[in-house]
Amino acid sequence: MAAGHDAPPTTDDGLLEVAGLSVAYRTASGWLTALDDVSLSIPVGGVLGLVGESGSGKSSMVLALLGLLGPAARVRARRVAFDGQDLLVNAPLLRGRRVGVVFQDTSAALNPAHTIGRQVIEPLVVHMHLERAEAWARGTALLAEMGIKQPAQVMGCYPHQLSGGMKQRVGIATALATEPDLLLLDEPTTALDVTVEAQILNLLDRLRVQRGLSMLLVSHNLGIVDRLCDRVAVLYAGRVAETGGTVRVLNRPRHPYTKGLLAALPRPDLAHAGRLSPIPGNLPDLVSPDPGCNFRPRCAFAAPGCEQPQTLLGGDHRASCHRMADIAELPWPVESPPAASGPISGPISGRERGAPALVQAVGLSARFETGGFLQRLFGRPGHGVLAVDDVSLTVRIGEIVGLVGESGCGKSTLGRLLLRLVPAKSGGLRFAGAEIGERPGPAFRRQAQIVFQNPDTSLNPRQTVGTILRRPLHRFGLASGAKATREIERLLDLVRLPRRYVDRYPHQLSGGEKQRVGIARALATKPDFLVCDEAVSALDVSVQAAVLNLLRDLRDELGVAYLFISHDIGVIAHIADRVAVMYRGSLVEEGEVRDVLRPPYHPYTELLLSSVPVIGKPRSMEGERLADPSPASDGTDAGCKFAGRCPRKLGPICDTVPPPWQQVDRDHRIRCHVPLATLAAVPPWLPVPAGID
Amino acid sequence: MTASALATAPRRALPGVLMIGLAVLGIVVISALVGIWFTPYDPTAFAVRSRLASPSLLHLFGTDEFGRDVLSRVLAGGHLSLAIGFGAMLVSLVLGVPLGLLAAFHRGVVQEVIMRAVDLLISLPPILLGLLILAVTPPNLIKTILAVGLVYVPILVRLSRAVALGLLEEDFVQAAVARGEGAVAILWHEILPNAWPPIIVECGLRVTFAILLGSALSFLGLGPQPPSSEWGLMIAEGREFLTQAPWVGLMPGLCLCVLLVSVNLVGEGLRECLDPHLSGRSRG
Repeated sequence: MAAGHDAPPTTDDGLLEVAGLSVAYRTASGWLTALDDVSLSIPVGGVLGLVGESGSGKSSMVLALLGLLGPAARVRARRVAFDGQDLLVNAPLLRGRRVGVVFQDTSAALNPAHTIGRQVIEPLVVHMHLERAEAWARGTALLAEMGIKQPAQVMGCYPHQLSGGMKQRVGIATALATEPDLLLLDEPTTALDVTVEAQILNLLDRLRVQRGLSMLLVSHNLGIVDRLCDRVAVLYAGRVAETGGTVRVLNRPRHPYTKGLLAALPRPDLAHAGRLSPIPGNLPDLVSPDPGCNFRPRCAFAAPGCEQPQTLLGGDHRASCHRMADIAELPWPVESPPAASGPISGPISGRERGAPALVQAVGLSARFETGGFLQRLFGRPGHGVLAVDDVSLTVRIGEIVGLVGESGCGKSTLGRLLLRLVPAKSGGLRFAGAEIGERPGPAFRRQAQIVFQNPDTSLNPRQTVGTILRRPLHRFGLASGAKATREIERLLDLVRLPRRYVDRYPHQLSGGEKQRVGIARALATKPDFLVCDEAVSALDVSVQAAVLNLLRDLRDELGVAYLFISHDIGVIAHIADRVAVMYRGSLVEEGEVRDVLRPPYHPYTELLLSSVPVIGKPRSMEGERLADPSPASDGTDAGCKFAGRCPRKLGPICDTVPPPWQQVDRDHRIRCHVPLATLAAVPPWLPVPAGID
Repeated sequence: MTASALATAPRRALPGVLMIGLAVLGIVVISALVGIWFTPYDPTAFAVRSRLASPSLLHLFGTDEFGRDVLSRVLAGGHLSLAIGFGAMLVSLVLGVPLGLLAAFHRGVVQEVIMRAVDLLISLPPILLGLLILAVTPPNLIKTILAVGLVYVPILVRLSRAVALGLLEEDFVQAAVARGEGAVAILWHEILPNAWPPIIVECGLRVTFAILLGSALSFLGLGPQPPSSEWGLMIAEGREFLTQAPWVGLMPGLCLCVLLVSVNLVGEGLRECLDPHLSGRSRG
């Protein structure tokens, strides 16, 4: 196929050699090209990162290597060799034996009806023909090697009894049971919290050194790739855009797409560095691929010659762009602020200290009861989970307050408490000076709105965009008839969607477009306060950048205040003015972004920051990242909840006495027993903050 | 799946099953409604000489034990069967769906009351329930429809509640709550449009069961009475002659079968062309 393609660098010690691999799926409108003439190679003991946004063909690559694509797919390749054997023919023999695989969702990969032990020893019994007892001993040893304490007990557990991180360790153990030479990792940490993710990455790094494993890491997270991989291949719409050493590619990208991806990425070390640079447009049509450069329609550097077929050029660091040399020094252009929406009329920004408070929560708590109505009626009271425990938080007019924490810490519940969408057990809420009760009136409902995480479920699939936006206007009597139509057009302009989208149904929009409709719906009532519950987490980086810019512009234009809930420290550092850190239902630290991201840290904040994979974080720093003892003894409710995991625990006082709030300066406070002087003495965990101050 | 592909995708043509189903259903319904004026013979006229005659050009569907033309009787009785089937379906729809949606929305006392009442109804055998209603007062068509409809209320309550429970978890419902919408507005605007495809399909099935249950009640003497030629009644009467003259029961049975299949085709077709999830999936 592809004429003039460079011969792949045929290293003799290449464990996996893929040359000219193409994968196509049959669809109603023709063959959809998921992978188009992809070549890559992994040497023994090497780790290759395969990065790209959704639809780039990453997962097709993994499935093709495993021979699991099924009859609906057409696989063609010049050569796919694993240790000298043809992998396309021999995949059924090699997978699970010499090629191991770890999938993203271990909850789905583990059978809930069988014990962990049974699933770990299965490959040992099937492939290695071991006796059950021997396999059981080997499996137990494997779990121990994965850093699981009490492996013998875990062998007898069922999957639902383990945490996500534990399940992923079991998944890796199962993949490694037959001592494979190559491990395929398909987004292995995407479903995990950042602290757990760091543990898994450390584990993978250790296994790679100890066992001399080769790995193919498929990920959308450039920070993880930087942490683990020697080499990286950037996929765009089924083609390799760029490949080379990880440090070179991520620090001096050559292909415009890689430049764009990096420019769109919010990074905690570059807080408030200005606007992000989204990549405009959408993925190209994969059914009739462009013979020329397929990134051309979205490329900021497109020029005559781009319509010619591109080939990977260069020595070790190669990119498929004929303008590579011309644009080597040019950064991806920054998106200019919208001009059409008129002059920014002196926003009331919460960044100016002393802006009046808009939302004031005092001692809010929420408890989720378990069991049904009758159980609750006749059973013992007091069963349930305290999701939010005595939280006080203030959001000022026009201010963006970030809320970070691990999954299950009560972030979303707190956000819904501030909107009175879930019943509070105790505490009070004031909005614009007025007390807001459990059943707020329409005035509050109009002023406080919410944007959801998942754009697929946040829009009613049976309503057009026009209907979705018209409903809030009617509901609050803001506009009707022709006036409402004009207002809907204004809202679409505001979120930078074309007006003709009025008649579209949600399934006719892309993820980023749906999210914009969700934002427009929230803005329709002209709210003063918006809860953004992981509003950008489900989006690809290039789209996420556009939505983040939009949200920030809207704050500047309309003076809307946000509670911005996210697990992504990079996003929070980029968009928030102040940050609140939440752990198991309680706030542990609160302050301006720049203060929270540097010492003194709350020990939990420190753990979070030490775990974030950031591009350019020195690996030595990773090595000495904080040990995170698994919460075998979760802190008692009497004392500090974090005491069980805290690396800086003082002693019994942490278990018995609730920690006090310590004021670092006017706006920065930390809830901890450890003296501030000690906390201030720890080294900063993020690389030199460039954009701060 | 690219956005541009989605955006430019043409509106899909109506699915074939829907067209076929509508055509067949139309024929059956029209012939049942106007058939009574176009019967080849008087549906009640006895002809002792041609008792239990097999189907022929003279009597396309044959004759029954009194020599009555089965085709004429089928044409004359169709409207009764349709009335029982669709009427009972409407009754259970009108009662069941709002109750189910309310039970899903108001967890707590309202749900417990509705669902336990439904459990009570389910625990009674359908025939017994029909008997309870019909035996105490003189039977007529409206009462049969009500009785049969009531029997199927629990099924629709449970179905619509199950569907609504899933939908209530979706974020667009939360968005409506965040606008301060009331229960009725949320159920009407947000839940019902998404809930009705499975309900419609279920209703298609229910029409068929309702006709059969209606005929069982007729057989027990609690529905339309002889000499009425309601299809269920005819099937029941034809049972006696199943070995010697199968057409007496078989012909109305076949008509019933055609009606049921066409109703189900329409239900399936409606779901296919109106469910955005399905149409999205088919594009891959």
